[in-house]
Amino acid sequence: MKHMQRAELDSLLTHVAQSYRLLVPQRLEDGTRLLRPWGEGELVLSGEPVQRKPTEYFLPQLDPLLKIDTAGGVQLATVPETPLCLFGLNRADLQCLGFVDRFCAFPPQDDAYAVKRQNGLLIGLTGYCGPDGQLLPLTDGRCDIELIALADGWLAQAFTDIGSALLAEFNDIDPETLGTIRSLSEKRIAEERATLEQAARIVQQELVPDDFWREIGDRCILCSGCNLVCPTCTCFCVQDRTDQGGTERSRVWDSCQFDGFMREASGHNPLGSEALRTRRRIHHKLAADVERWGEISCFLCGRCDKTCPTGIGIQAVAAEIVKRFSTN
Amino acid sequence: MPSTCSTQRSSIYAPRLCRLLEVSDLTPQEKLFRLQLEDGSVLNHQPGQFVQVSIPGLTEAPISVASSPSRNGYFELGVRKAGSLTGAMHLLQPGATIGIRGPFGRPFQIDALRKRHLILLAGGCGLAPLRSLIQYCQDYPEQFGTIDILYGARSPQDLLFKDDLLQWRLSACFSCTYTVDNDPADSCYDGETGLITRLLPKLQIAPADTCAVVVGPPPMYRPVIEALHDKGLPSDRIMLSLERNMRCGIGKCGHCTIEHLYCCSDGPIFWLNEVEHLRGAL
Repeated sequence: MKHMQRAELDSLLTHVAQSYRLLVPQRLEDGTRLLRPWGEGELVLSGEPVQRKPTEYFLPQLDPLLKIDTAGGVQLATVPETPLCLFGLNRADLQCLGFVDRFCAFPPQDDAYAVKRQNGLLIGLTGYCGPDGQLLPLTDGRCDIELIALADGWLAQAFTDIGSALLAEFNDIDPETLGTIRSLSEKRIAEERATLEQAARIVQQELVPDDFWREIGDRCILCSGCNLVCPTCTCFCVQDRTDQGGTERSRVWDSCQFDGFMREASGHNPLGSEALRTRRRIHHKLAADVERWGEISCFLCGRCDKTCPTGIGIQAVAAEIVKRFSTN
Repeated sequence: MPSTCSTQRSSIYAPRLCRLLEVSDLTPQEKLFRLQLEDGSVLNHQPGQFVQVSIPGLTEAPISVASSPSRNGYFELGVRKAGSLTGAMHLLQPGATIGIRGPFGRPFQIDALRKRHLILLAGGCGLAPLRSLIQYCQDYPEQFGTIDILYGARSPQDLLFKDDLLQWRLSACFSCTYTVDNDPADSCYDGETGLITRLLPKLQIAPADTCAVVVGPPPMYRPVIEALHDKGLPSDRIMLSLERNMRCGIGKCGHCTIEHLYCCSDGPIFWLNEVEHLRGAL
């Protein structure tokens, strides 16, 4: 474990920026934070989670895949040679990235994601750096380096060889306060996840009636915001744009809340009603991904609940499920 | 220092060029395309798998391979004109090129079919993927028991692969029966009339030695499965090919999920007992 002050943190980031395209949290005019290039604005080390999902840097909303020339030759999209470093991600965002890393790496590997993600560096920021200095729970190690904000600087721990090398020059410390922070952190995580995990068990046991999904579906205005802001939503469709030089093929984020999402050429639509599509959005995170990947794929980043204009983000729906269908 | 990313790479999203060798009409809406990979390699598919057909400007569409890998040197796709990409395919002439990705998906589980009495049952366009298995059985008859082919279409003019049906009827490898839902009075049709489920009660089945393979439009599955269960065939002896909107073919785009399964990579071939409890599967 290392300890650093602000000058040392700046030194670390300056060093990182020599080898990576470093993005750090910066304040926007509206008061929110966004990851932007290091050096182009003031680094803001505490506050609300960054506005946009961190997975978009590796699976962007419009992701050019390849070009097909008029003779049928294929040229793959190029990616910047310098890898990316995302600095300032909280526990939830790092868990989301870890989940998507695993999803995309599952054979056959999604090379369009991997080529952007490979050699990248993730630096988490936790501890007392939430809104108004609140405690942000510690990470579960899904990053290269974690910085833990204290009143007198930051504790720094590495989880990878690259992280260890970057921290080598900083002073070692025997952190007396870490045990307290860890236990507070675990308590906070357990409290935050309790409702979601209880709702997941209810959904997994198929205890939620169709009328409930119909009711939630009736409240959905099909804006697709929940999917577009969700860091673990990875569904995409494919689009071609053709000009005289050939065709550029890209993938574009898609939403399971759209009627055409699963509609087949024959007209058959397995998700042919808003009730079914609403169930799919929630069931996929709380039950299907648990069955397939062994974990709930919502890590409570909070973006869909903030975004949804009608109040049916996943935490709101989970709370409703627990309130109405819990048998405890 | 991190190493740099290489832009010289292969990609699972890159289509391979194929040349169109032959095009033939199956019905007014369906054509059969015989194709060969432009680089001379073989597709290396297994019966039941599919490819993503790519036409620049029109993106991609999943199409089942309609020929057996035992028919060397080419592969065939039976394509219904249903949208912009398949409409463009129907305008292609021999010598034209298209792109493909694949083959993708879990194939028919041929090992489980060997030495058994097979009921190969298709409805409508479902005969195209099933034809890859029928041809395989035709080319390796010693591997299988008796084989009943049952096929249903809407009308005589909607029957696919009419030449094949005639050949299969005459073949010692198969017993082949087909039926149409409606037979117009002026047709020269000489087959059965009525839904495909009407063909099943006539079959002699020893459930312990029989497997059924069912490929058809979604509304066909429940009544056919019920009829097969009535004949004593358990769900772990009934294989299905499920139709879904597959955009990527590799379990990434999310359009073909059936609860926790990805139809394109976990399927499209499933044993009934793997999916019958999953909501929306059938």
